[in-house]
Amino acid sequence: MERFFSALQAILNGVLTGSLYALIGMGMALIFGVMRIVNFAHGAFMMVGMYVTYLLFQGAGLNPYFGFIGSAMFLFLLGYLFYRGLLKPIRGRSDFMQILLTLGFGLILTDGIQLLFGADYHQINLPLLGKNLRLGSQISLNAPWLISFGIALMLGALLYFFVMHTMLGRAARAIAQNRYAAPLMGINVDRVQALSFGIGVAAAGVAGGLLLPVFYLYPTVGDQFTLKAFVMVVLGGMGSIQGAAMAGLVLGVVENLTSLYWGNEWALAVDFVIFLSVLSLRPSGIFGSQRV
Amino acid sequence: MRSAHASSAAVLACALALTGCQGGVSQKGEGSRNKIKIGTITSLTGSNAAFGQAHKNGYAIALDELNSRGGLLGKTVELDYYDDQSRPDQAVQGVSKLVDLDNVPIILGAYSSENTRAIVPAVTQKQVPLLMPTATADNVMETGSPWTFRICAGSGAYATATVAFLKGMGAPKTMAIIYENTNFGQSNAQAMQAAAKQAGIEVVDTEAYQASTPDYKALLQRVKARSPAVIYFASYLLDASTLMRQAEQVGLNPAYYTSAGTGFAAAEFPTPDKGAGRNAEYTFSVSQWLPSAKWKGSKEFDDKYVQRTGSHPAYHAIEAYITLLAAAEAIKKANSTDPKAIRDALKQLDMPETTFGPIRFDPKGQNQHPVLITQVQGGQYKVVWPADAAESKPIIPTPPWTKR
Repeated sequence: MERFFSALQAILNGVLTGSLYALIGMGMALIFGVMRIVNFAHGAFMMVGMYVTYLLFQGAGLNPYFGFIGSAMFLFLLGYLFYRGLLKPIRGRSDFMQILLTLGFGLILTDGIQLLFGADYHQINLPLLGKNLRLGSQISLNAPWLISFGIALMLGALLYFFVMHTMLGRAARAIAQNRYAAPLMGINVDRVQALSFGIGVAAAGVAGGLLLPVFYLYPTVGDQFTLKAFVMVVLGGMGSIQGAAMAGLVLGVVENLTSLYWGNEWALAVDFVIFLSVLSLRPSGIFGSQRV
Repeated sequence: MRSAHASSAAVLACALALTGCQGGVSQKGEGSRNKIKIGTITSLTGSNAAFGQAHKNGYAIALDELNSRGGLLGKTVELDYYDDQSRPDQAVQGVSKLVDLDNVPIILGAYSSENTRAIVPAVTQKQVPLLMPTATADNVMETGSPWTFRICAGSGAYATATVAFLKGMGAPKTMAIIYENTNFGQSNAQAMQAAAKQAGIEVVDTEAYQASTPDYKALLQRVKARSPAVIYFASYLLDASTLMRQAEQVGLNPAYYTSAGTGFAAAEFPTPDKGAGRNAEYTFSVSQWLPSAKWKGSKEFDDKYVQRTGSHPAYHAIEAYITLLAAAEAIKKANSTDPKAIRDALKQLDMPETTFGPIRFDPKGQNQHPVLITQVQGGQYKVVWPADAAESKPIIPTPPWTKR
């Protein structure tokens, strides 16, 4: 029984962590999966989202569970302008130019933040942090993680709805299917792409804002999440928003179970073992079809 | 097909990102005839920046004292900083920059055990003395290099002191060791394993972790399942804070939370803004110095530090302070800025009364420094062991989280 509860606890914790991964992954699925932009600045965008939420908290006393909205708006604008100003001119050229551009922009964001706020780390200590929801005597869930989970679930559903059922989302997928036919159907490619990029980046910003209360921030905090985001997109199947969301949850649970049964030092290694095995054995991903 | 193509691009880009290079930042001073430059490598940025800043403040206070007393050999002393960004490869690059370009005769640093171990071969090859303020992993002193000297006590001394303390406090039978998986954590975990075995304490669990992940709950659950009486942590600051918060979430209740200093001894650790806040309460830590230490000048150093930074120093700051003063003393004794002459002077160095106790290096280059045990009580570090230095009685067993 003891063993059962500890496994259950690890799975629940994994789902909570995984919901935030899922948001990061869904944003990346939109940008990398649907738009085919290899975005190496994803984690850096998330980090900027954390700083925006942090500054709203410090400057205006805005609770991060509302502050993430400000972070989403700022990140949307940043992503939109980044696409218009820098990415658009090199669209249609080699993937490697995108990789270098996003990688470079990520470094600029990281070092820019470091210049502005220093390399020092910050954290916020909400009274909520000490609150735990106890289910029976064995299971306890931390309040801030639960709230983040609820918000992530709602926004994830919203993002899915946007991509699958709105005109803009359909247009984004149409462009991914055929970049040359889409404008002939009356789609304004530049506008749709810029908006989609902004939305994808905003999702990362939201995840950053929600992560802030339970984590700490420093300029390079996003790096690990960029790699995780790629793992999720590949695991979920390129272009599948719901696949990336599922992959986020799976990653959270697998990391927690690995940690529980093998030890924490293996948790990161398992991410990449999954990444490589999926790429080589099932390149279309585990979840869903090869649909765009 | 297109997707496979993009995926392979991602793999390549992963490799790119992993090898991604960033140049080191350093402050270059004017090479001038009436100045003596002392090389300093520390982590001013990156995950260990809090400790690097403590170093910098400690060095700055020592530098002020030196120069207000007329400098060294009639020249002004200048510190030549190299920021290793909390990365070992950058620390090694720092040695080349400081020695080859700036011609410093001695290097102080680095901050972490990982980075310090990385620069030992470089200083040995370039034949420049290295004076270590804070690296506690004992392998930094086990290379046999005749160029290395260490001010602080090491992981072996940490483990021995903790075990001796536990023996006097009811001799618990079981222990779990939780350590961050780089040189500092590994070395302290090994030392504790040996010390515990000798003292008849059974180590029921050892857990390594990667610092900077947001979630240690599963790890803590593993430890909880083995219900050890003692937990011994070897952690930096960010991880120490997260571990203690999540220990509450998991409901982990050992009788003793003990630790190998560092994160658990940082000035920030018991504060709510930058550390674990109230979750730091009752944790034990080894310590090398406190503002209340018996050595002359401790209070004055504390005052100067508070004046400069607005907060009280932990031992990392005074170790940097003493390191610079010891280097200056050696240069004075050597009456030269020749690296070899300074090295020889360091071997003979004898400073019987400093703010950090007596400084004298044994033939291996190690300064024998006593270790204290502190406990966080009411948000303050209080010395609880050894008895002759204790300011306060230890509170044991640690009250369970639900009763705090």
